[in-house]
Amino acid sequence: MRHALLLMSLVFIVISGGCAKSPALDTGSSTSSIRAAEAVGAGTVPLASFHLQLAKEEVARAEELAAKGDHDRAKSLLQRAEADAELAILLSREQTEKSEADAAMARVRQLQRESR
Amino acid sequence: MKTFGSLALVACAALTFGCASTAPTELVDARRAYEQASTGPAARLAPTELHAAAQALARAEAAFSDDANSYRTLDLAYVAQRKAEMAEAQASIAVEQIARTDSDVEYSDAQRDLVADQRKELGQARSDLALAEQNSENLANQLGSERDARRVAELESAKARAELAQLGELEDETRGTVITIPQSVLFRSNEAYLMPGADARLDLVVAALAATSDRNVIVEGHSDSEGSEAYNSTMTQRRADAIRDYLVRRGYPSGLVQARGMGEGQPVADNATSEGRSDNRRFQIIVERAGR
Repeated sequence: MRHALLLMSLVFIVISGGCAKSPALDTGSSTSSIRAAEAVGAGTVPLASFHLQLAKEEVARAEELAAKGDHDRAKSLLQRAEADAELAILLSREQTEKSEADAAMARVRQLQRESR
Repeated sequence: MKTFGSLALVACAALTFGCASTAPTELVDARRAYEQASTGPAARLAPTELHAAAQALARAEAAFSDDANSYRTLDLAYVAQRKAEMAEAQASIAVEQIARTDSDVEYSDAQRDLVADQRKELGQARSDLALAEQNSENLANQLGSERDARRVAELESAKARAELAQLGELEDETRGTVITIPQSVLFRSNEAYLMPGADARLDLVVAALAATSDRNVIVEGHSDSEGSEAYNSTMTQRRADAIRDYLVRRGYPSGLVQARGMGEGQPVADNATSEGRSDNRRFQIIVERAGR
């Protein structure tokens, strides 16, 4: 009887432990940065596109790690993803500003040619 | 200042703890990225982002001190590198924005100068146009005056011709306008000086010649066949001279008037009749055409 009770307790503990849900991985910050990078056209600027892709892969890898129970590692990896996404945003903006600066200079040169 | 403090912290951590282990590639890359960013335009144009990079690097260095090759150290180093790159990107954005602003200012200045030049050209063009219009008006007035003067001259010429027609015969020939005056209205027989009243008749010629003072005038004296040829030649010359002298006295340029005694050599009628001889005794004042 004691053995049976002990066995049943062990089974209950195992089942209870097995059914407990792992805490969800909070990817909100990383995915927001990724969406922001896509919104500013990071996908069309080569270097920005590269970091955007890295960010996506890092989020995917983090989710895999979280699914396996390694939340600490997953969270650490999400920091990489957020950093890559933020860099993609700035690289995309840098290209936009450069294009606008070049266009402004071209307007000046054109006006100078016309006024000669 | 903040950035300098963070850098000092990072440097101390590296010296104190970093020598004990070989830094992972991620941390080496992060340190190099930060050094590059901190010695470039980011120090001036992206100080906030550069400070964030310094702090990220400090966290990575601290993690490295705790556990040199843990995933946490590698991830923090990776993030620190990205933060340094972000500072450089932000500085580059600021540089481009400054360049665009400068170009916009230069464009505005160039546009303003262009407008000023165009306004000046427009003003000059308006002045030129006004001057041209004034010149055109003056020319029109001048033409009108000349037209009026010509009309007056034509009327006077017609009047003069009408008056000359009273004096004698007026004909337009190839050699010019020929006024034929009978000898008897200018000279008495055997006399070579103008008779009283002749000047009034010759004044009609003078008035007609007033409109043609640049033309050559030839005074020809003709006689009938009575008397000797030598006498007739001499007398017609003396009488032609008398007429010429009168015209010059009345103002006609002496260089343009000639006198020719033609004698009896060019009769226009039969010398056998009294009437014919009267017709032959004549003077012709020829006003040559312009350009002769």
